[in-house]
Amino acid sequence: MSTVRSDDSNPVVPMLECSGITMSFGGVPVLRGITFTLEPGTVTALAGENGAGKSTLMKIASGQCRPDGGEVKVRGQHLPSGNTQAAYSLGVAIVPQELASIPELMVYENLFVGRELRSSFGMLDRRAMIKAAGGYLADFGLDTDPRTRMGALPVGVRQIIEIIKATNRGARVLLLDEPTSAIAEREVARLARIVRTLRDQGVAVLFTTHKMEEIRAMADRVVVLRDGKLVSDTPLSDITDDGIVTAMIGRELDQLFPERTESGSDITLEVDNVVIAHGSEPISFSVKRGEILGLAGLVGAGRTELIECIYGIRKPVSGTVRVSGAPLRPGSPLNSIARKLAIVPEDRKGAGAVLSLSVLDNATLPRIAAFSRFGILRSRKRREAVGAIMKSMRLKSNGLDQKLENLSGGNQQKVVFGRWLTGQVDALLLDEPTRGVDVGARSEIYRIITGLSSAGMAVVMASSDMPEILSLSHRVFVMRDLGVVGELDRAQLDCPNVQDTIFRLASGQSAAPVKDTTP
Amino acid sequence: MNTTIDALPAQQRRDWKELASGFLVRHIMVVVMLLIVAFFAYRSARFATPDNLTNILIAAAPFALIALGQTLVILTGGIDLSVGSVMAASAMAAAWTAKNAGDNLMLPLLAALVTGLLAGAINGLIVSKFEVPPFITTLGMLTLASGIAYVIGNGAPINGLPTSFGSFANTQILGLTLPVVLMIIAILVLAFVMKRTNYGLRVYAIGGNRLAAEIAGVRSRGILFSVYAISGVLAGLSGLMLASRVITGAPNLGQGYELDAIAAVVIGGASLMGGRGTVWGTAVGLLLIQTINNGLDLLLVPAYWQNVIKGVIIVAAVGVDVWAARRGRR
Repeated sequence: MSTVRSDDSNPVVPMLECSGITMSFGGVPVLRGITFTLEPGTVTALAGENGAGKSTLMKIASGQCRPDGGEVKVRGQHLPSGNTQAAYSLGVAIVPQELASIPELMVYENLFVGRELRSSFGMLDRRAMIKAAGGYLADFGLDTDPRTRMGALPVGVRQIIEIIKATNRGARVLLLDEPTSAIAEREVARLARIVRTLRDQGVAVLFTTHKMEEIRAMADRVVVLRDGKLVSDTPLSDITDDGIVTAMIGRELDQLFPERTESGSDITLEVDNVVIAHGSEPISFSVKRGEILGLAGLVGAGRTELIECIYGIRKPVSGTVRVSGAPLRPGSPLNSIARKLAIVPEDRKGAGAVLSLSVLDNATLPRIAAFSRFGILRSRKRREAVGAIMKSMRLKSNGLDQKLENLSGGNQQKVVFGRWLTGQVDALLLDEPTRGVDVGARSEIYRIITGLSSAGMAVVMASSDMPEILSLSHRVFVMRDLGVVGELDRAQLDCPNVQDTIFRLASGQSAAPVKDTTP
Repeated sequence: MNTTIDALPAQQRRDWKELASGFLVRHIMVVVMLLIVAFFAYRSARFATPDNLTNILIAAAPFALIALGQTLVILTGGIDLSVGSVMAASAMAAAWTAKNAGDNLMLPLLAALVTGLLAGAINGLIVSKFEVPPFITTLGMLTLASGIAYVIGNGAPINGLPTSFGSFANTQILGLTLPVVLMIIAILVLAFVMKRTNYGLRVYAIGGNRLAAEIAGVRSRGILFSVYAISGVLAGLSGLMLASRVITGAPNLGQGYELDAIAAVVIGGASLMGGRGTVWGTAVGLLLIQTINNGLDLLLVPAYWQNVIKGVIIVAAVGVDVWAARRGRR
């Protein structure tokens, strides 16, 4: 490989060079010869579907992981692998998707852990650390008290603190793995601002994402991976959104969202005066057969809490939920399942699936009684039923016995969906159904959702993804402070300024702008 | 799926190696076990004899019952530290009953089972209903049950039991003693239960991810309660077998057995975080420990040195397992 040595005639020394990186897991190639460089003061988006090799490339570029072939250089110096300390001292820092902060420690302790300030007797100089930490936070536009417990802060703030931690330790190359997957839209704007500030200071930033808006908002160059190959590397201004998507999935994505079908007339799901927490507004609504009700709102508005109350993971203060006329026992998922209610929870790893179990076992759990006789599992019956469903979901796996932890996010989500479909479902609750799911699998999940609703299910879908809410829903509720603050029907959802309307409702800026927009 | 044609020959060659090394990785403990057996067989002529192998099984039986109970508990992500003391309390209860009931064998059996069940049920109730961490709950039960054992015998062993009390340990069935038969039955039954029943799947699900299991309709409290109750009953039965072998109830019987049981489960590949492990794995771990005990005895290694060697082998064995698992993931 003839890589450019950092000779003096070249004015711009690349911050990070990856040349000919190859990597395979268990005989399956994940990266097939990736070569690219990062220059100082640039922001590069690393786009690609889940399973394209983004995270692996990030791990190799940050020295966490040893590639099978190829080399990583930082400012011309070889980056030894399997040694994050060495990467740190060369100025490469990674902020992983699952944040590495220590929730039980305070913000300033997190910032200084490993290089604590000491007073003359070798004791911790807490006062100096708090003061310095306060300064750093202010520089990045955070007014957080450095003595707050890290775990008490929202994910978006913790992430920025992680970035502060990394850059304070002299990082000149900052790798952000899926930085926006768990934060609210407003926090994304703040993150974008911070990334631009770092760029102006000469830091080379590389971040992974599969959201187009974020590539547009943050990056000046986009590198696309597909099946472990680098398929496109262009300045952002030279490529269209469609071009990026096509590069990512390798085919034209004709339409991300399928057509909505008409909803039926009889009511399936009734929520009657449900109070989520003491002092919050009671919530009442009903969802018809085949109708998709969207729940919009900011993080913390109560969408997840409402869905949990309906399903029975959480007991509401008061109120009842009925499915097809039959009241549910509050706080009993088992009863909800028996009443033909199903849920796809927000936190797939934490609540949706048992990752250490196989596809077959995960899919058996909700209707285990139907697959057993006298407590003994009926292998053939469940294999046939689950196999048929997973085939219709177009699940990509090495068979039903593959453990879920070895599947990509999109395929895990298909299992979390599909496990309900081995029996009748009247009403379906979805909480962020496409979080952490790549574009290709996302369109399939949309197809599944509309398919289920047109087959007669009543669907309630909470989502932070605006296009998703606007395109799939027949009706949308906007939530704030554990209550519903606005309702928009289909005509209102088609208004051009609907996003602004929803944001105003969600953030409480205006009481009733909804009516004004109706033609 | 997307493998290109020209990459195929190399791919196939690699698959072969993968398959072979995958097999080794999955059964690494069996390999370790065979190596240890080969070593002892080479060093001691008495090791590989039918009599000695029977001895290993007889020594393994009381451990087997508590290690199997422990497997279920560990699969849910818990731990049961109380089994050794529960064995002692059950043995004392059985001995006391035998002393006062004469030749009736049902009463001591019942006394041991009820004592074990009671202790296990209390553990299960506190862990599942009041959500006290299992480590603390069963640590408390360890002390409590040990206290009860001494209370029953007024601080002394219970001797002079009717000789019929010995029949629990000494009855022969098809050339094997009753405890060995019980061990084999327990392994087969539990292996079936964990692999093929609703109950087994639910135990794995709770250990793998309790919240997700609950959302999928698993009532986790009942399952949690049951694994501690089962562990208690098996400890009671195990205590009875040990006491029966020497026809004496000793309040210090079973002391420290919980640690060997936990070691067997972990050597068998179970994760203390829950959700991973198998009954077969525990059986292999158990035999590994007993084989080491037996082989070191035959080589006349002094008892204290035996402990040193056993400790090293346990950590080394699990170390090999972790290493193999990491290679397997790559």
